[in-house]
Amino acid sequence: MKVGLSWDLDQNADPVETWRSVLDEIIQADGLGFDSAWIPEGRDTAVSCPQPSMYLTGAAVKTKSIQLVAASRTVGHAHPVRIAEEVAVLDLYSQGRAGISFLSGANQQVAEQHVQEVVEFVKVAWTADEFRYRGDYLQFPSNTGDEAPRGASEPEPNSALEYVPQWEAGPVQPEYLTVTPKPHQRLPMVYIEVDEETTLEWAARQGVSPVVRADVPTEEAVERLARYRRIADDAGRSRAEVDPILERHMVIDGAGDSHTLGGSSDELIKIVRQLKLVGSFRHLVWKRAVSDDGQLLRFAGEIQPLLQA
Amino acid sequence: MEFWTGAGTVSKNRKMPTAIAAGYSAAADAAITAEKLGFDGVSAAEHHFMYDAFTPQPLQSLAAMAAVTERVKLLTGAMLLPLYDPLEAAEQSITLDILSNGRVCMGLGMGYRPLEFNTFGTAKRTRGARLVEGMEVLRLATSQETFSYSGKHYQYENVSMLPRPVQSPIEMYFCGGATPFGARRAGQAGLPYWLANSPTDHAEEMIKEYRRIGLEAGHPAEQLKVAVFKDLCIADTMSEAFELRDFMMNTFYEEHILGYGYLVDADGKNLYNPPKEHPIYQRFYSSMACVTPEMAIEEVKRYERMGIDAIYMGNRDLVAQLILPEFK
Repeated sequence: MKVGLSWDLDQNADPVETWRSVLDEIIQADGLGFDSAWIPEGRDTAVSCPQPSMYLTGAAVKTKSIQLVAASRTVGHAHPVRIAEEVAVLDLYSQGRAGISFLSGANQQVAEQHVQEVVEFVKVAWTADEFRYRGDYLQFPSNTGDEAPRGASEPEPNSALEYVPQWEAGPVQPEYLTVTPKPHQRLPMVYIEVDEETTLEWAARQGVSPVVRADVPTEEAVERLARYRRIADDAGRSRAEVDPILERHMVIDGAGDSHTLGGSSDELIKIVRQLKLVGSFRHLVWKRAVSDDGQLLRFAGEIQPLLQA
Repeated sequence: MEFWTGAGTVSKNRKMPTAIAAGYSAAADAAITAEKLGFDGVSAAEHHFMYDAFTPQPLQSLAAMAAVTERVKLLTGAMLLPLYDPLEAAEQSITLDILSNGRVCMGLGMGYRPLEFNTFGTAKRTRGARLVEGMEVLRLATSQETFSYSGKHYQYENVSMLPRPVQSPIEMYFCGGATPFGARRAGQAGLPYWLANSPTDHAEEMIKEYRRIGLEAGHPAEQLKVAVFKDLCIADTMSEAFELRDFMMNTFYEEHILGYGYLVDADGKNLYNPPKEHPIYQRFYSSMACVTPEMAIEEVKRYERMGIDAIYMGNRDLVAQLILPEFK
């Protein structure tokens, strides 16, 4: 099982100090062998991070192995081309460790289809050369008209389009366009928060990795992941293509509750292993408060090896 | 006078190929080197859909540099503001300002490549006005807890942005080319002006014009800051310097000058496919002066005498070796 970290940036503190503390913890986690670091997009507090890919690009050059995921990403604050570009740039600086996780449509007050189109678009943008895209919420390039097929399309093999290098094209707008740079990986991991049923079903059928956030009660969270697995299996999706995520608050030697996993190190190992059997996930993300509580080192020494084994 | 330099263009240019991911790493390393060499700022630029994998997100590249440097200013030179919703640009600049503890300086340009405007859905003819309006929105967003703005292209009411930047407002420059049109626009709006590469006599004229218009418009002199891009081809002999200039300019001519409409005429209109004899190209060509080390020092001293605030020079290692010791 993989183990990652995310941070609760829901507080009012000095942003320079707080962001530096989180960066220090990412660097420490990288050295300790944690598998992923998740920074959520936010605009609500003095320490929220509105541009997580930028933040993580700073972490990329200070770490070697840890996966870096821009989490809770919205689709309304940036052009989809920029979302594809920012993940590609993060992937290049980290040499293949970038990922992105989107909020569901309901959680960002946009249509589910809007998010789905952006997810589809960024995957094509990373992997295709010249292409165009026509959806209800996105046309790329912007001159793409109704004659284009829905979704992504590339020039036909027998296309009469003559190849003109872009530096010779002048002010003419091309019909198909390449988004650059390409990521270092062929396809960075794309996740979506499955906090409502239609998103969960769509993600399961399309092979998009699900995330259940820490604010969902544990029992319900693993049930959602189990339901995702059943739908994906029925749709014939391979388990190898996705990375289901369970995010939890955790406390070592403390009491758990409906949202928090608590207990001794041995008890936590047993709880997580049991949840894994029910929810069929293999990537646990520990949501942490921004504090130097000493638990990271204990977790790395006592729990992580027995989960990763 | 501050000395600024580039952090290396991340690109796989068809005449100077490099590995792309290694190039991105090298950009962060270049910032470390520039800081050690004594430069005051390092910059990253912006282009989209480039065949050579040019970085499209300058502030994101600077975030990598922020993590590995302590002192140096992090400059966009230039970021193409008309291609952004100004609030998105403000968020990005605030994010970097926090990450770098207040070291961001935004050089903001109009852009010129048609497919960038077309794809992001911004009418290119509005780029000048959008740049000026967008900079005012950036100033408000990074200096006011809550602000409203009503312009021709952008309108916002009671916007509050969190988190807040370290600087208030974030430092920025108007990168408006080297035409009288651009100089006047910057002066009229009272925006700090980062002048494009141009022959030194011409630059001096533009700086005077900018300051004259700015003061006439009622802006205080200390607000009318000036930076210049100044690329010099420095070699021990003039013939070596001319050879270096031809090598550097040919690729740029074949791509940005011919196909992307980089140059503009006196009215701000883009020129496509200008012949090499075109007077505006000739001025651009000669803006990259060919000099010996002694001449380079004299050239920079001329800018110092003009009372400018910063000079950007791309030739990092030679500048550090030959020029910085004369001024620092």
